[in-house]
Amino acid sequence: MNEEYLWDKSGEPDPEIQQLETILGTLRYQPKPLELPDVIQPASQRQKNYLPWLAIAATLLLAMLAGIVWLSFRSKGLEKKYEAYAPTPAVQNPAPTSIEVPTPNREEAVNKTAPTPRQRRDFVARHRPRPVQLVPSQEALLAKEQLMSALKLASEKLNLAEKKVQGPTPNQIRNQHKVG
Amino acid sequence: MKRLFRKPPRTPLLVALLVISWSCTARAQDPKIQLAHLDHLAAKATETVDINIDERLIQITAKLFKDSDIDEVQVKKLIQGLKGIYVKSFEFDSDNNYSAADIDSIRSQLREPQWSRLVNVTSKKDGNVEVYISLVGSQINGLTVLSAEPRELTVVNIVGPVDLEKLAQLEGNLGIPDLGIDPPKKKKNDDQ
Repeated sequence: MNEEYLWDKSGEPDPEIQQLETILGTLRYQPKPLELPDVIQPASQRQKNYLPWLAIAATLLLAMLAGIVWLSFRSKGLEKKYEAYAPTPAVQNPAPTSIEVPTPNREEAVNKTAPTPRQRRDFVARHRPRPVQLVPSQEALLAKEQLMSALKLASEKLNLAEKKVQGPTPNQIRNQHKVG
Repeated sequence: MKRLFRKPPRTPLLVALLVISWSCTARAQDPKIQLAHLDHLAAKATETVDINIDERLIQITAKLFKDSDIDEVQVKKLIQGLKGIYVKSFEFDSDNNYSAADIDSIRSQLREPQWSRLVNVTSKKDGNVEVYISLVGSQINGLTVLSAEPRELTVVNIVGPVDLEKLAQLEGNLGIPDLGIDPPKKKKNDDQ
């Protein structure tokens, strides 16, 4: 192999090297001028239009999630508030101590530390949002009463008219016959 | 300009006449009758019933009737679509406390073509009972009962579609005392 040819192409060329040159020559760098399109639209321009909407949607989503989490924690928190009382086992027979504790205070202490299940239920019920109960207004109740009176009167008069048109009922005639 | 004053424009006049005639017709077809002129009888009466329930009150009241109670459901159905219930009833402790003019003032309103007299019972001893219905096409859209007894004058005016059979059947329900009058029995052929 002629190394001069490999170095600066001065020596006798090697046919294998020449074959390789021919094959790889197609991939050789070929200089050409830069071609730019007439209207250049930056790629980021489209995304810019979506960005505010995406931001709003993300904010709303986060707010909703935060609300749901807060509500769930709030409802759990009410029940945990009771657990803060740490229900201790009820004192069955307190050991006599040298210092006399007044009875009411002791009862209060026991009540504070160990709320009854009923008290717990009441507390939760008090703090839980309740549905609004619709109470009929005085005007509506009065109107209902008047309506019933009016219908009663109308019904009575209609039946009275019907009775007068039909004449005495067969029972009345039969009774009169028996009496007579 | 002078022409305008010489010859009054016809179109506005015609429109005004049409509006007036339309409003008069609409008023004439309204089955609500005026009962205010009977108010002077309240001074003589020992007992007065004065009920004025308009459409709004009927709608409010309808919500108070429970769907679980069969009787209340019946009343609710009966008052559905009604536009007003007006009652004036006077009871006196002696005879001749109201005049014929008082009754005629009601009857004159019931002479409109929309009103038909369904029942007219005249009795010197027990007084008169008249039942009028207002018809639009073949449907009842108003009822008036005028009962003039020697010591009692009652006018019931119901505005809106009324089911007379259901109304008559109300007596005996919801604490309304039953007078013992059975509705006419249907024949077997009618039922089939």
